[in-house]
Amino acid sequence: MMQSQIVSRPRYRDLAAEDTAGAHLLIVEGDTLAAGQMAALATAFAVVAERLQTWLVSAPATALAPGRVRRLHTVEEARTALEHIEDGFGIADRLYLQGTEPFMWSLATAAGRAGLSPTQIRMQHAGSLKRRVWCTHCHQTTENVTTNIATCAGCARALLVRDHFSRRLGAFMGVMVDAEVPGEVPQREEVFR
Amino acid sequence: MIGDTLELIVVAVDDIASSLRHVRLAAADGGPLPPAAAGANIQLRLQGAARTWRNAYSLISPPGRRDAYEIIVRRVPESRGGSAFVHEVLKPGDRLVASWPSNLFAPQRTARHHLMIAGGIGITPFLSYVADFAHSGASHALHVCCRESETGTFAPWLQACGELHHYWDADGHRLDIPALLARQPAGTHLYVCGPAALNDEVIQAAANAGWPASHVHCEHFGAALSGGTPFTAFLSRSGIEVEVGESESLLEAIERVGAAAPCLCRGGACGVCVTRVLEGEPEHRDHYLGAAEREGGELIMPCVSRARSTRLVLDL
Ligand code: FES
Repeated sequence: MMQSQIVSRPRYRDLAAEDTAGAHLLIVEGDTLAAGQMAALATAFAVVAERLQTWLVSAPATALAPGRVRRLHTVEEARTALEHIEDGFGIADRLYLQGTEPFMWSLATAAGRAGLSPTQIRMQHAGSLKRRVWCTHCHQTTENVTTNIATCAGCARALLVRDHFSRRLGAFMGVMVDAEVPGEVPQREEVFR
Repeated sequence: MIGDTLELIVVAVDDIASSLRHVRLAAADGGPLPPAAAGANIQLRLQGAARTWRNAYSLISPPGRRDAYEIIVRRVPESRGGSAFVHEVLKPGDRLVASWPSNLFAPQRTARHHLMIAGGIGITPFLSYVADFAHSGASHALHVCCRESETGTFAPWLQACGELHHYWDADGHRLDIPALLARQPAGTHLYVCGPAALNDEVIQAAANAGWPASHVHCEHFGAALSGGTPFTAFLSRSGIEVEVGESESLLEAIERVGAAAPCLCRGGACGVCVTRVLEGEPEHRDHYLGAAEREGGELIMPCVSRARSTRLVLDL
């Protein structure tokens, strides 16, 4: 199977609240929640519970969460809310994200536009390994990619999904797989389930 | 010294306060000087009758200016002779050898807001910052801690300063550091330059509040803290033994006997002067070595650090 050898992927670790004086915002991708995960988060964030807001995105109505809870339907809605957060972010604030990479990076890049430094953002991967892929030829992104080779949503080229990750775009690079020998596309396999 | 040296000539000296002297320097050959960015400093070689000092001073001339470098020197009689030399001896027409400008304290270009805290003469790097920000339109605020009588001293360089506050040591006029640091927006970069106690307090307060370390910047003065109890240093490679006097740094003593010692900031910040200790116990005063390296006792930054033992053997 043909797979990229470049490794520039961000590393994710279990979320733990940092006891800073600022506000703490936890955003969880609801449909990736496994049993017991919310309880684990509630424990991990107990120290900052008073200064914590949790945004649940597309979570079942029954899901509980620590801190002041806000429910949002889609990641777009969460992104807009982040960009228009009242009074903006403070330098001692922290943003914690949990979910799939496309989810987390949509929000991390929006938070960056709102002024948050990458050093104020923590991420824990949960759910599918699906990727957002950025086509290096037409610069369009293709969502929900689970295979080593994907068809670009913009230009329909067959793209090899590399492990080269752009923090600015929040996406993996996709490069034309049959550039040398047109038409010679290796077998497609589901690798990012 | 790293890089080439510059030949400068003193164009003017002016006392702007009882212990503050403004010095204007131009290239001795009348040509343009190397450009320097905000926060840069130069190292001057001050040739006294009995000894030579090498002191680093922040350039306060507007960034990019090539016709002259301007510095402000505070007289610190008890701890170091270089500043006394500038105040007593230096006069227009004198020639000086200087390093090229170096910059270990440049403003962060990605900042959304620049928050500066200055203590005393630590305001000097910020005078060029303010000129830079006024030019670029960057959002900034300068908080100055100084003597009450000196609140107006730097006014000529602060005409274009955005938010400006002065504090002094009297009830109702002291800077509340935690309160100031608590209310800053994301994307702010914090810069502090002043006496060690102020620097430490600000850095600690920022850490306590949860500022990311990447957004906190500090310029230390080496000048005021490199003296102390005399001791002996033995330079094992060159076989020279040198007495380090109470008003000179170990680095200066090494330079005095002509041994080659690299250096850049002369303030314990850049790491260029790092030297191996073969014997003896260093007294660390730098901001470069990590805790483990300090405890290991095998490395020393001779520009600011001294000895706890009466003798140090160095791999120089
Ligand atoms: S010269 Fe920079 S640390 Fe000594």
